[in-house]
Amino acid sequence: MSRLDIDPYSVLGVSVDASAEEVKAAYRRVARRLHPDVNSSPGASVQFQDITVAHDTLLDEALKKSYHDQVSRRKARNESEFYFSLRVTPSKRAVARLSEPQVIYLLAEVLPDPRARKAEQKREARVNLTLVLDHSNSMSGARLEKVKVAAHQIIDQLTDKDVLSVIGFNDRAEVIIPATSVQDKASLKAKISMMVASGGTEIYKGLAAGYEQNRRFLAPKLVNHMILLTDGNTYGDAEACLELAREAAEHGIGISAMGLGQEWNDEFLDELVSITGGNSDYIKSASAVVKFLNDHVRNLSDGFAERMQISIAPDPDIQLESAFKLSPQPQPLPIDQGYIPIGSLQANRIVSVLFQIQIPASIKNGFRSFARLVVTGDILDNTYQKYQTLSDVSLEVSDNPPVEDPPVAILDALGKLTLYRMQERAQAALDQGNIEEATRRLENLATRLLAMGEQELASEARSEARRVAHTSAFSDAGRKSLKYQTRHLLATSVIEDL
Amino acid sequence: MLACPKCAHQNLEGSLFCESCGENLTTDGASKTSTRRLESAANDLVARATWGTARFGEDAAITLRIRDNAETITLQPAKRSVLGRSDAASSQQPDVDLTPYGALEKGVSRIHAAITRSEDTLTLVDLGSVNGTHLNGQRLIPDQPRVLRDGDEIRLGRLVAHVFFR
Repeated sequence: MSRLDIDPYSVLGVSVDASAEEVKAAYRRVARRLHPDVNSSPGASVQFQDITVAHDTLLDEALKKSYHDQVSRRKARNESEFYFSLRVTPSKRAVARLSEPQVIYLLAEVLPDPRARKAEQKREARVNLTLVLDHSNSMSGARLEKVKVAAHQIIDQLTDKDVLSVIGFNDRAEVIIPATSVQDKASLKAKISMMVASGGTEIYKGLAAGYEQNRRFLAPKLVNHMILLTDGNTYGDAEACLELAREAAEHGIGISAMGLGQEWNDEFLDELVSITGGNSDYIKSASAVVKFLNDHVRNLSDGFAERMQISIAPDPDIQLESAFKLSPQPQPLPIDQGYIPIGSLQANRIVSVLFQIQIPASIKNGFRSFARLVVTGDILDNTYQKYQTLSDVSLEVSDNPPVEDPPVAILDALGKLTLYRMQERAQAALDQGNIEEATRRLENLATRLLAMGEQELASEARSEARRVAHTSAFSDAGRKSLKYQTRHLLATSVIEDL
Repeated sequence: MLACPKCAHQNLEGSLFCESCGENLTTDGASKTSTRRLESAANDLVARATWGTARFGEDAAITLRIRDNAETITLQPAKRSVLGRSDAASSQQPDVDLTPYGALEKGVSRIHAAITRSEDTLTLVDLGSVNGTHLNGQRLIPDQPRVLRDGDEIRLGRLVAHVFFR
């Protein structure tokens, strides 16, 4: 069996009738960029495996035949095989040769198959959803009531083809609804209504119980997802939670997290969800819970492809600086792993990621490659679900390139991402005890926000600047608000709906 | 280094926004982030995204819409169709002659690029042209074919054309 998700021809950049010599030459050309001996980036090491598979497939007659047989068998069955495509836009098309390092931005957009959203009856993905709900003492009153309302509405949204499980946790975890298809909605709702608030917050126990329930119905055709909702900080079990998230990611279960109020640990939850490609959000007041959860579940059932991952292998002399998912839900991405999870691809939305790479001083003139990007994912409706597509970024380097305007999409996204980064740098300055610097950064942020017409957020930044100057600390509410709302600005900048 | 005009912070070359104060560092920055520009970007995206199929049926044809020209070229590609500019002095003649579309002044080579048909996909390959072939803004490495999709923009020298399947 050869791997059908890898198209050996496009991986190596050769035509279908390439000779063995051409295949070998193409392999050497790509290997010079990606071989672990010359390229230490995690993205290169995972991509190198693909080119080796492609090389072996094309040079072994039996493997090559088996690949072609499988492709033609699929064609003979006349299955409507869906695909997704990748489009990469660099911030400049011609690079100037400089005696100092420079940065380039790459906007990667993953586009779902246009046929998936065409007139044909709108298909809903089936979900295997686990709600992990905090019902510690601090949730009592309006918060827990709103969570119950939200859970009721989610039950209404789901059908008997979907699977739901609900965990309530405080110091202990309790399975409120064991994983089951959503049939008797009234009795499911009644179980939710019985929840009472008491005790402390131990997130790991809730997650572990949720994971166990979710795995019971884990299936490749389903959108397998857990939503954690908490209002508190967990103590001592954070590492165990991250370990569990890594295991969940391997099984294709996404985890999203919503923090309610001020006391929860945003850095921890951000890290937790980024492992699985999920997203985290800040819910300021109890009244917003219902809308947040409902929107989130609705997005899940629009799934076209799941377990999406992107890998970027900069050429050996190029440095990857950062990665940020712009849409659908803005989220900073980790760059220390070969495959970066980016969650799910919906039938009517683009997933876009902005990369920042750094080019060394005095590179040679000429036309050259800078990076290779590969996107993989499981297309829910395909018989053979795994699919991958790639794009090589090649640009011209010269002494005097023509002046050009950066693409509007990059400018717009980056303008807003800069605000998020400014907030981050204010935090970093404060962490280092540099009060003056932190204050100045917050004031700058306030000025920028005002210039963009974000008055409310600007005044929040200004009041945090004052607070930092006087007390050397953010307010919990202000800090979370700045972080998540500057992140939300990005969501409005990218055109999500196709 | 790129000094920010507002706060004098030193930014790396290629930066588009000052990392210290958030100022737009591109020359005519102010107009870029206006709502109007955003909307037009939205329309482009909508238009672009409805295309994109790489599947090319057996009796399908392609239409080349050349920028600044009312006429379009329709062709049913054979196994391999060479795009270029016919020239009496040259021994080889292209299958698709772009001379009527200003090929000479736009820097199209005599034998510039080829559209190759394999099963149900089309690929575009640069044949070592002088001024290069671009697919969706990216320059092609000579003799390395790339898949052609519906709605793609190709550029031969300075001659820009859009490819549509039908």
